[in-house]
Amino acid sequence: MPPDAAHLRSLLDRYERPLVRYAQSIVGDLESARDVAQETFIKYVETGGPRADGAGEADPRHIESWLFTVTRNRAIDCQRKQSRIIPMNPADYEQRSSDEPGPVAVLESRELAGSLLALLDALTENQREVIRLKFQNDLSYREIADITRLSVTNVGFLLHTGLKKLRALLDEQPRTAFELPLRQTT
Amino acid sequence: MNPDDPKLTAYALDEIDPADRAELERLLRDDPTALAEVEETRAFAATLRHQLATEPAYPLSESQRTEVLDAARRTEAWRASRCDAVSTGPAPNAASQRDALHANPRKLVRFHCSPAVLSALAASIAVLASLAFLFPAIHRHYTAMRQPAISVGEKDGSFKLAMAPQQQLPASLEIAPVPNEETFTPEHPAISAPSVSAITSSTSAPTSFTMAAAPIPVMKATGEIKSLDLAQAPTFKSTPAELAPYPKTPVTASRGLPTTMSSRMGGTARPAGTKSIVSLSASAPAQGRSRDYYYRGDLGGGGRMKSLGDLDRLDDGTEPRQTTDTASYEALADNPFQRVSDQPLSTFSIDVDTASYANVRRFLNSNTLPPRDAVRIEELINYFHYDYPAPDGDAPFSSTMEVAACPWSPEHRLVRIGLKGREIQRADRAASNLVFLIDVSGSMQPAERLPLLKRSMSLLVDQLTDRDRVAIVVYAGASGCALESTHDKRRVRDALDALKSGGSTNGASGIQLAYELAQKHFIKGGTNRVILATDGDFNVGITDQDDLIRLIEKKAKSGVFLTCLGFGTDNLKDSTLEKLADKGNGNYSYIDTLAEGRRVLVEQMAGTLITIAKDVKIQVEFNPAKVGAYRLIGYENRLLKKEDFNDDAKDAGEIGSGHHVTALYEIVPVGKELAPSLGTDPLKYQPAAKPVPEPIREPQANASPELLTLKLRYKKPDADVSTLREFPLTDTGATREKCSRDFRFAAAVASFGMILRDSPHRGNATWNSTLELAAEGKGEDRDGYRAEFVGLVEKAKALAR
Repeated sequence: MPPDAAHLRSLLDRYERPLVRYAQSIVGDLESARDVAQETFIKYVETGGPRADGAGEADPRHIESWLFTVTRNRAIDCQRKQSRIIPMNPADYEQRSSDEPGPVAVLESRELAGSLLALLDALTENQREVIRLKFQNDLSYREIADITRLSVTNVGFLLHTGLKKLRALLDEQPRTAFELPLRQTT
Repeated sequence: MNPDDPKLTAYALDEIDPADRAELERLLRDDPTALAEVEETRAFAATLRHQLATEPAYPLSESQRTEVLDAARRTEAWRASRCDAVSTGPAPNAASQRDALHANPRKLVRFHCSPAVLSALAASIAVLASLAFLFPAIHRHYTAMRQPAISVGEKDGSFKLAMAPQQQLPASLEIAPVPNEETFTPEHPAISAPSVSAITSSTSAPTSFTMAAAPIPVMKATGEIKSLDLAQAPTFKSTPAELAPYPKTPVTASRGLPTTMSSRMGGTARPAGTKSIVSLSASAPAQGRSRDYYYRGDLGGGGRMKSLGDLDRLDDGTEPRQTTDTASYEALADNPFQRVSDQPLSTFSIDVDTASYANVRRFLNSNTLPPRDAVRIEELINYFHYDYPAPDGDAPFSSTMEVAACPWSPEHRLVRIGLKGREIQRADRAASNLVFLIDVSGSMQPAERLPLLKRSMSLLVDQLTDRDRVAIVVYAGASGCALESTHDKRRVRDALDALKSGGSTNGASGIQLAYELAQKHFIKGGTNRVILATDGDFNVGITDQDDLIRLIEKKAKSGVFLTCLGFGTDNLKDSTLEKLADKGNGNYSYIDTLAEGRRVLVEQMAGTLITIAKDVKIQVEFNPAKVGAYRLIGYENRLLKKEDFNDDAKDAGEIGSGHHVTALYEIVPVGKELAPSLGTDPLKYQPAAKPVPEPIREPQANASPELLTLKLRYKKPDADVSTLREFPLTDTGATREKCSRDFRFAAAVASFGMILRDSPHRGNATWNSTLELAAEGKGEDRDGYRAEFVGLVEKAKALAR
């Protein structure tokens, strides 16, 4: 397999899911999100993505930023094109519900997952996006700034206020204390 | 300080501007409220990461993926035909890149126009065209007036519906090749009985083994190996995917003949045909997150970090070449030549670890020479696969010996000893009771640590059956049971996925819990093992290595063995992990990439999980009529006292299913001169000491033509009494030309190791002579590892200039 194709495969494996998920957070439905992600990869293939210099491959972090940027742009376009959101059919998602109770830690996280992720809706769109990019995709302030075309200070501010709001909301929830799985001792 | 300052959040997330950091820390020192705020933010961030990770992330559909790959092939074809005449993209400057990206993507597409490609790309361009056309205008507007385009409730309401428990697609989908391998219908490989008895060494030909008649098994679908990182792949030749059909022995024998050596630990196998994937450390510096730093040359005592590998000058007067941050390596002096008249017996424990090779590879791929103490020659040699015959009948392993001229000292002879463990069919494999003991401390956060670990472990889990059980114990600050022992693989995968890092490490109590769990669900006659995965840091609790080792030894006696998996680069406690595995009757592997994780945990799984023989010891007696002196290459930290050989209470190494072990002796024949430093002065008060009262062969009368006798002791996995086997070897005087490929290759690896260690015994070995040997010994090299080795030698040669 030519070197670039193996590289492409590894890119796909590493980024297809995060990009689909990120696109989905903008466009809403899975199919459009998949299209957006696919277009991103195709664009990468066609244009070569970011190249630091003519020789060799680009810095992986640049590639990552580039991928997210392109995905974001396409997703926003897509969202604009779709004047209404197609309601999602839960059957579209491959669900694997577990009938057995999972281990304590995992179970607790799942209960929490519902509440915390729902709380994200209470944030502004910018806060939400920046929080996803930072905590779901592990990007730095600088990278988030590049991707969203906001300033680094703005990004910092959004994260700060977003986190603050989430914590305040979480405190209001019935479950007042939660623990990281790590903190459990047996 | 105002607790509501965004700078505090930035600081908590490690995003504070370096210019502001010092000032902020100064303020924080006197402000407990602000400090508490920082801690809470960090904790919350960790929770948030954890929760967000559970949000479903779906892959592209198969057809979409295929389309992308097709587009790549077309572009590739176009590029090839263009002979690189076209520059490959936007300007190097990042800002202008960004602008080019945002402002006019259509232009980028046009850049690669050519009639052939255009028609091929028509479909995708048509789709993109409309978007691209609208894009600049939209984008300008969009930044000006951002409005939430979607009603939050509607969108997220239905979105959330999908947030029911487990949403991730089955892990098996992620790792495409593995299920295929899993669904092999096991057929027995047609390994014919070797024409030479597997137990006795050949005394006639220099090549003392025969090639098995089986069609050479090869790895299939190897192009699919995924890597977690995007670091540059070195330009190793990859073998084509159309390989001979794999004679479907189950995973255990998936290594079959040509697969790489499976030392118990260390090295990861690389399936045939994949490019080797550079470890993440190569990309780390670019990310600016790396804590690696290397000292070059001699900085004097003050400049170096303290570490175990940082001992003072070694006995032979050489300096440690360099140390890397806090990674620690045990200092070992190369085995010297021993006179047969002083020391007719050489005794050591076998070792199937391969961690050192993977580690050395990782260094070289990051363009640094490895510290000499990171190089353990036996682990380098043992990384590769050699064609040893399968054992006969009931014997747990076969033994093979070969002797020929020593490449780096033509007057000397080189003896190669090989042992190969029997392969156990997967279907016959006894049930396994595994406990994963996983370090989830903060230091494990980078992608090449915990995330890689999780993926690697998933690969292992995929190989297990319903008869096997897995539990997961995590440790970091406090230890916790993340998963009770279960047969349900899905739950195991879920629990693995849910692991996140944070906190500091207390390895010892985690180990206690892990062993308890293993003992609780002990399977008699099965494999009971704790698999410890860490970057080696044990910085809270029992930090004294000796205490830790005592603990492990005690536990090992109960029948639960230990496998250590090392991850990460700058804090790898190589010596700790090796010791623990050694005392724990297990093996130690270093995992730098997913490919290596696959090699260790999938391909080597049989070896890891099934022990064929334990406490395997070797003792060689040299014939003083033939041998003047000898030197064991490697195994410096495996040496045993001669009386330990017959002492069954003394612990030694294990051989797992399909594992093999190789050892090399350099022999100075009788009559040749030894270097002056090797002789000892004649005693002043006593006549010269007599050799040990083992059965002494009379040198004059009935002089044996044998060069040496190899003695092996081993125990069946649950036995306490060892069995002894003996094999004599006679030197038929084979010259360099007559020796086998494997012999040459093993010699090349030894030569490489000696140069890297700057060994005083390397004779005439040079980079070029090593390359020559390796080229001669390379052979078919179906899995590409030998080619990779050649590449590493080239790299080292370039770096050493």
